[in-house]
Amino acid sequence: MNPLAGADAVARLLAAVPKAEIASSPVKDYPTIRLAAPADLLLAARLLKGDLGFMYLEMVTAVDWLGPVNLGGFVCGGNSNPLSRKPAAPPVSPVPGPGVSYRPMLDLLWSFGNLGENRKIFLRLELPRDRAEVPSLTSLFAAADWQEREAFDLFGIRFTGHPNLIKILTPDFLQGHPLRKDYVHAKDRYDEE
Amino acid sequence: MGIILDKFPLIAKAIPGGQVVLTSTDYIIDLGRKYSLWPLTFGLACCAIEMMVAYAGRFDFDRFGVIPRPSPRQADLLLIAGTVTKKMAAPIVDIYHQMPEPRFVMAMGSCANCGGPFYDSYSVVKGIDRIIPVDVYIPGCPPRPEALIYGVMELQKKIMRMKLERGGGATVQAEKGSRDPAGEDA
Ligand code: SF4
Repeated sequence: MNPLAGADAVARLLAAVPKAEIASSPVKDYPTIRLAAPADLLLAARLLKGDLGFMYLEMVTAVDWLGPVNLGGFVCGGNSNPLSRKPAAPPVSPVPGPGVSYRPMLDLLWSFGNLGENRKIFLRLELPRDRAEVPSLTSLFAAADWQEREAFDLFGIRFTGHPNLIKILTPDFLQGHPLRKDYVHAKDRYDEE
Repeated sequence: MGIILDKFPLIAKAIPGGQVVLTSTDYIIDLGRKYSLWPLTFGLACCAIEMMVAYAGRFDFDRFGVIPRPSPRQADLLLIAGTVTKKMAAPIVDIYHQMPEPRFVMAMGSCANCGGPFYDSYSVVKGIDRIIPVDVYIPGCPPRPEALIYGVMELQKKIMRMKLERGGGATVQAEKGSRDPAGEDA
């Protein structure tokens, strides 16, 4: 039994990672830590895997907080491609809604499991939508490969250092990243009447 | 065998009394096809669970001669059970063309019929009749095993109307859409 698991793991993480804090919006009642910058991710993950026994990367996903979108009459270019360095798409503005703080941010989420002690810990990190770039965890966890490809495919998050960052779920002809709130579906060959 | 069956109507018609031979041969061949419908089970989503139930003990598809096959080369019936995504569409067309004639297609569930609950989705094909011809549509979300059995029985009725004179298929082969002009000679 690793005495450092559980609350101690959170304390160790908070001590080791600069400006990390306990997230105000935890995932259920699991310990959830919000990182301050993408650069902290590898540090935290290395600590989790090496010292604290969280050997299992369960999930890499994200939430787009743009909220309901007013595209302002702009239809075809909403599907920005973060891999191409073309001029950015015209800005879209979130429609304010009650109770939820919509903002042009992607909230990334990693889930780490410690199978020996049956514990979980979550990391969160907010990134601006148009510069969503984080270091890839593939050097530490092989499981990160497909998970990160999925997050790239559906959200357009760029994982730097990933060996093979290509689409995994959507067909090749699909433009854009469907789980982004400003995704616009362009008709393809299966949509014709 | 296929060549003999193709040429047989011509030969039978040329000899007196050949029509009798032809219709009896039709009947025997159709009977054989009807009671040995081997499906390539193509479970894609939740409907596949219901399809598995139909094969299992309580509903026992085997008594209709419906025995699941793992390879399209051995199958007569393509049983599409579930949601067809756009990424899966091309493999389905490939598999359809790998099956030997005569081949039949059943669309099981709302998803395979028309897109079902994912009608507005960016990634779902809105009905497999957009990519391959369909013989029987089974509505429901998911259809109960009884509905699946009813679908197979309807297909059996359709097979009984097949004639050597008209070539291999139950009806004329179409590129896509429904292959069920009910009036052809019901
Ligand atoms: S029709 Fe309903 S049960 Fe069948 S695959 Fe679609 S959603 Fe699932």
